[in-house]
Amino acid sequence: MISGKKFGMAEFIFLIAVLILVVIVALPVILIFWTSFIVDGHINIQAVVNTLMQEDTFRALKMSIMIAACVTVTCTFVGTLFAWLVTRTDLPFKETMKVLFTVPFMLPAFIGALAWKILLSPRAGYINQLWMGITGFNHALFNVYGFWGIVVIETMYLFPFVFIQVSGALEHMDPTLEESARISGAGLFTITRKITIPLIMPAVVAGALLVCLYSLSHFGTPAILGTEVGIYTIPTMIYELIHQSAGSFVAIRSATVLSVVLVISAGIILYAQNKVIKSGRFQIIAGKSVRPTVLKLRGLRMPIFIFCCIYLFITVIMPTVTIFLVGLLKTYGLPLALENMTWENFRYVLFEWKLTKDAIWNSAYLSISAAFVTMIAGGIISYVLVKMNVRGKWFLEFLGMLPFSIPGTVIALGVILTWSGRFGVNIYNTAWIIFVAYIARYMAFSLKSNSAALEQVHDSLVEAARASGATPWQSLKDVVIPLIRPGMVAAFFLIFLPALRELTTSVLLYGPTTRTIGVAIYTLNEDGETVYACALAGVALLLIVGGEILIKRFFEKKRHVDNGGA
Amino acid sequence: MKKFLAAVLLVSVLFVSSAAMAAEKLTVYTSMKDSLIGALKDEFLKKNPGIEFDAYVAGAGKLMAKIAAEREAGKLVVDVLWHSEVPDFYQLKKEGVLQPYKSPNAKYVESPVKEPEGYFTPVRNGTLGIVYNTRLIKKAPKSWKEVLGADYKGAFGIADPALSGTAYGSVAGLAKLYGWKFFEDIQKNGGILGKGSGQVIDDTAMGDLVACIGVDYITMSKIKKGATLAMAYPKETIVLPSPVAIMKGTPNLGAAKKFVDFLLSKEGQQIIANNYTLPVRSDVVLPKDSPLPKPHAAVVNAIKLDFKSMSGAPKEETIKKFKDIMRPGK
Repeated sequence: MISGKKFGMAEFIFLIAVLILVVIVALPVILIFWTSFIVDGHINIQAVVNTLMQEDTFRALKMSIMIAACVTVTCTFVGTLFAWLVTRTDLPFKETMKVLFTVPFMLPAFIGALAWKILLSPRAGYINQLWMGITGFNHALFNVYGFWGIVVIETMYLFPFVFIQVSGALEHMDPTLEESARISGAGLFTITRKITIPLIMPAVVAGALLVCLYSLSHFGTPAILGTEVGIYTIPTMIYELIHQSAGSFVAIRSATVLSVVLVISAGIILYAQNKVIKSGRFQIIAGKSVRPTVLKLRGLRMPIFIFCCIYLFITVIMPTVTIFLVGLLKTYGLPLALENMTWENFRYVLFEWKLTKDAIWNSAYLSISAAFVTMIAGGIISYVLVKMNVRGKWFLEFLGMLPFSIPGTVIALGVILTWSGRFGVNIYNTAWIIFVAYIARYMAFSLKSNSAALEQVHDSLVEAARASGATPWQSLKDVVIPLIRPGMVAAFFLIFLPALRELTTSVLLYGPTTRTIGVAIYTLNEDGETVYACALAGVALLLIVGGEILIKRFFEKKRHVDNGGA
Repeated sequence: MKKFLAAVLLVSVLFVSSAAMAAEKLTVYTSMKDSLIGALKDEFLKKNPGIEFDAYVAGAGKLMAKIAAEREAGKLVVDVLWHSEVPDFYQLKKEGVLQPYKSPNAKYVESPVKEPEGYFTPVRNGTLGIVYNTRLIKKAPKSWKEVLGADYKGAFGIADPALSGTAYGSVAGLAKLYGWKFFEDIQKNGGILGKGSGQVIDDTAMGDLVACIGVDYITMSKIKKGATLAMAYPKETIVLPSPVAIMKGTPNLGAAKKFVDFLLSKEGQQIIANNYTLPVRSDVVLPKDSPLPKPHAAVVNAIKLDFKSMSGAPKEETIKKFKDIMRPGK
């Protein structure tokens, strides 16, 4: 090991941890606050307020909040409803349905938005055409461009946040509470109102806040469905400011002010979420092996089941099929008939076109290397946070909280400010800047996973190793690391998969040869290369779904082996 | 776990080494779509196999924003710039960031834009006409005013001039020809402000728009693949030359010059003609099925624009005025 005697191992690890967090995560955020609040060397709150009150920025701000609020409400309703159906009723194929309802999570929302644009654009969307053809109306069934389009599409792909939380809570809830209420003569309505809802409320709110946070900082859907009709949100506004104002200082400053708003909103949301989760501690009472009473749907059983199937068909199957079919078309606008289909687009994006080949390759190596580095760095930082007693640890704890509350757009802007020459390093326009941004963006996942694993390693194990004469490095290498390995691998995949389909951050950072898959799909759509955009989106979907399945199997096999060994 | 770590390490190392690779490189920023730049690149690389060629394709607005950011950061990635917004080139020349180069092939060039000092050279005369969906519009329009008719109600698109150089040129040209009232009338007829120059054409092919102001070769490449589109040219033609320029201080000056020479050579110009846009040389043959006006007629009938005074403040004014008219609610 490199560390000498006077400069101990502990200090060394601590220093590395602090350095990583400060340089990769804290510095960009500090620069964003600095750029927005400091004008000519003085704090200038007035200038910040002025920027926010500008017509364009204010409208974007309002729009972001309205969209996030509506999406949160609809997701909460849809997510809770389905969670209740799969846990507390006698819906057929409940277990399968439970898995299926999390599938929309796998589909990147911007690919969903692209598919829905094709299906529901006002005059020519396939569904609208069909509708107008059947009814003879000359008005669309639903125009997906605009506020409600964005709300509906985001709801389709974000509701699993609520669904997963609430179905978990409903499953783990102690059913005896409801039982006793029933025995005391309370009706179903009273039980639901007085027992069930208060018990699952923390889970509902936690899920809703996650949706709100995600929607506030989400770029793809409003970019595809909103900018066309003049609707901007904070992330799309920042994108416009960076890409179209020739990077002038005024534009960058406006963008940083909007970022500050995002960071603060995210902070408030996370604070609220923490409060709620803490207040909800009482809910989990070990109601082991007692099955909650199941509501008989009776005559409604099949109709509700069919409704669920139709919902899944509409949100998952239809857009996926649309993406693949349009990807097969010779050119956009031809009817979806076999004689207009060709494999040419897929061949072209996979094997010939440099732009798309680059994009696939960039996304692949960026997500793998960023996941790897973040896994290691997160391990080191978690080690300090969980296991070590060093002076100034509170500072690190504070820094460790940061990555949880920084939206992707903000990170992108922050790394532009940090890494385009200000500190002598200029990696703007290279893949490195995306790499650095990914590390900052996904550090939170790695910290969570690694700390959880480290907390389970008892100190006595390390002490025993040290007592038997092992050096700190040996005890780390031979005792701690093997024990937390599953946590580290989990961190790797938790980062790898989202990074593979990332759009929000990389769309602000890409250069001539550093498009990611998400960026390529987005810009191809913007440039009117719709069939190529769909073909590439099809490839991306295959990669993502394939990856998810592989990982699920990997972990299942692993669990199997572990259980067998125990 | 060991294998997994090793694989990950290998990829990371590959990543690092691929970033460090160096050769004679040429980075071209262009607004030409892949159908055109791709064909040119293939032929160019056949002749110059030693050069590593990168084309960054985006709208003129994005290219200029990117270059401005690169200049700000003090590191230019771009070697050669080629897009359709002539005023930008005058602006860049004024700012002193272009490298003058008089290609031996420059003497053959015929274009509405002349730049005798060689800071930039037109390599194509882009034309824009009315692109319409033949399923929805049966009669080819003969004049620009026809788009104010009932057939085009609620579905005539113009690309965003802030994003696309050709859209800016068309808006400026038509405003000069008919005055801003023309766009007010288009708006009253439900005209739509679209996004990029390619997207309005794709939307027209799909039927979301019945027609749009569209660029020649983008439309033609889609027609070739079976799109139900057609192009009509009113007599007053929008002709927008696309100049090419070399950036000052490029480390790849040799390769850049070779590329400019190639673009202006007879082979290069033939590829441009074969892709259904107007070449700047009259010694190449146009494809037989081209709906484009003849090069000479196009230059004669072109709406005259004073490109020199179209950058900076006048451009911002034009775009703002246009957007205010097209999106009165906003």
